Amino acid sequence: MIQKKKHTGVALDASEKFVAGLAYVLMTVFALVAILPCLHVASKAFSKGTYVAQGAVWFWPRGFQLETMQYILFQTQFFTALKNTLIVTFVGTFVSVVVSITTAYPLSKPNFKGRRVVVLLYVFSMVFFGGIVPAYMVVQMLGLLNTYAALILPFAIVQFNMFIVKNYFEGLPETIEESARIDGAGDLRILVSIVCPMSTPVIATVTLLYAINYWNNYFHAMMYTQSTNMKTLQVYLYDLINSGAGFLENLTSGGLTSGSISPNITAEGLTATAVTLSIIPIIALYPLVQKFLVKGITIGSVKG
Amino acid sequence: MKQPPNALADRNPHSMSPVARKLRHAGSYLRQHWILYVMLLPGLFFLFVYKLLPLWGLQIAFKDYKMFAAETPWKAITASSWVGLKHFRKLFGSSQFIKVLRNTLAINFLKILCLFPLPILCAILLNEMRNRIYQKLCQTMIYVPYFFSWVLIFGIFYSLLGSYGIVNTAITALGKSRINFFGDRSVFRWILVFTEGWKEIGYNTVIYLAAITGIDPTLYEAARMDGANKFQQIGHITLPGLLPTIVLMLIMKVGYILTTGFEQVLVFYNPSVYDVADIIETYVYRIGLGQADFSLATALGLFNAIVAFILIVGANAVSKKSLGRSIW
Repeated sequence: MIQKKKHTGVALDASEKFVAGLAYVLMTVFALVAILPCLHVASKAFSKGTYVAQGAVWFWPRGFQLETMQYILFQTQFFTALKNTLIVTFVGTFVSVVVSITTAYPLSKPNFKGRRVVVLLYVFSMVFFGGIVPAYMVVQMLGLLNTYAALILPFAIVQFNMFIVKNYFEGLPETIEESARIDGAGDLRILVSIVCPMSTPVIATVTLLYAINYWNNYFHAMMYTQSTNMKTLQVYLYDLINSGAGFLENLTSGGLTSGSISPNITAEGLTATAVTLSIIPIIALYPLVQKFLVKGITIGSVKG
Repeated sequence: MKQPPNALADRNPHSMSPVARKLRHAGSYLRQHWILYVMLLPGLFFLFVYKLLPLWGLQIAFKDYKMFAAETPWKAITASSWVGLKHFRKLFGSSQFIKVLRNTLAINFLKILCLFPLPILCAILLNEMRNRIYQKLCQTMIYVPYFFSWVLIFGIFYSLLGSYGIVNTAITALGKSRINFFGDRSVFRWILVFTEGWKEIGYNTVIYLAAITGIDPTLYEAARMDGANKFQQIGHITLPGLLPTIVLMLIMKVGYILTTGFEQVLVFYNPSVYDVADIIETYVYRIGLGQADFSLATALGLFNAIVAFILIVGANAVSKKSLGRSIW
């Protein structure tokens, strides 16, 4: 990413020292601002209830308890929400990536008849969106409310991602395809066994972009599903944060749990725990994300 | 298109009319590459269902939509009666419309003003770090929040800024009174600006860093030989080298000014800050799916879509003309 600096043996003059010093100080501040809030939430998740309620937890757990974690995992809808999100993310990403590749390939052929019209259609739909009310009516008309399909449909093909793949395909050398064609391979065969293996970086990038879209999507999940067993992780999380104290009251007065709730379990702690649990998968996949998305940005975004 | 190629095979190509020659060519192309057209179908199917079919529903912006005018809500679209520009007149005359338009512009301009220069600064500074490991570490850390959903970010900042969050603990420790961050009209927009920066700066930094990598390193060598100090090198080599990317990013930001920030506001706001936080799309959502005033919501959505369309296409034209680069 970063160009290599040659050590020319020239002594650092004052301006270089100043800039380097500024770089270390400011970037450390930026990095801390990015990370400390996450650390704070994670600390709250494991701290004793009394400290959490007093607002006395900073960037490391005070006291240690796992009761809140157990509570979130086993007494709430967490696993249902996780299951829903996983299904939507896996199925959705698979569908999206396949559709993006099969759309991008014909459109990447300069001689493809009808290419201009189809590209124009995709560009138009990218810059002109009919609005959420008509989109809702379509989903309703198709009978997809409260189904996984309604959560996949909006992102089934994201034009921008498709164009990233198309641009990459256009940059592939023509000659390998040509020789395969002479050997008698058809278009589909060439796409599957030659073009796709040559395009693994861009496919990985687009796969991650789609997966993040599905995983993080809140709005469509909230709009298109109503029943509790269809809640995705984001909807579950939002409801938990917003209900806060009310959530706990309901539990104690509604007799949903046997006996009294441990003093370690607080509304703030519950939110923090759910947030922490949602961060974990992102952090776990982060090395992969970092690897492909740093590259992917250079491949796709700003195209000449 | 479906001209059988054999029928034309015995003809001398020079005696054929240009149209016939074209058809013959198209016919053999189709026969050879029909599979490419089959490949397009799944994508076109999804495009049709979710992106084009809703356009049919836009007509209710010019109708009095009655959900029960026909046996299904979808059929009711055609069954409802035309009312011309009634909803648009109502909309443009309402103070709500002025308010949400003002909020949309104010919030997004505030974001551009405060946040736009930061990733450029970050990229330049990261590039000046000699310690590669520490540099990578900083870059990795500022990039993390980009992958968080708005709900997750809301959870994190709710935890920090809530009545008993650590920020309020610190404020009370200093002897001041607690701030209700999410209910206070004077601070709420700043929360939107700050969290937007928190999420997006890392991503944009990576884009600028990639652009810096593209700058010819010999330029720096030469400048150094000529005795240019670091500030001069940044001012005369790095910034000009970044200029096309900076301009492109700015054009895109302005182009998308009406359509960004929806999910963030939807997740962060609450009725006590509607006055300063309600933007066009959140308002469309509330009147449409909340109050079931489908026609009015669709009219506002259509207005927004048309203006956004003009802005984005305009932004792309500007970018094409000034930089020779197209967004798509």
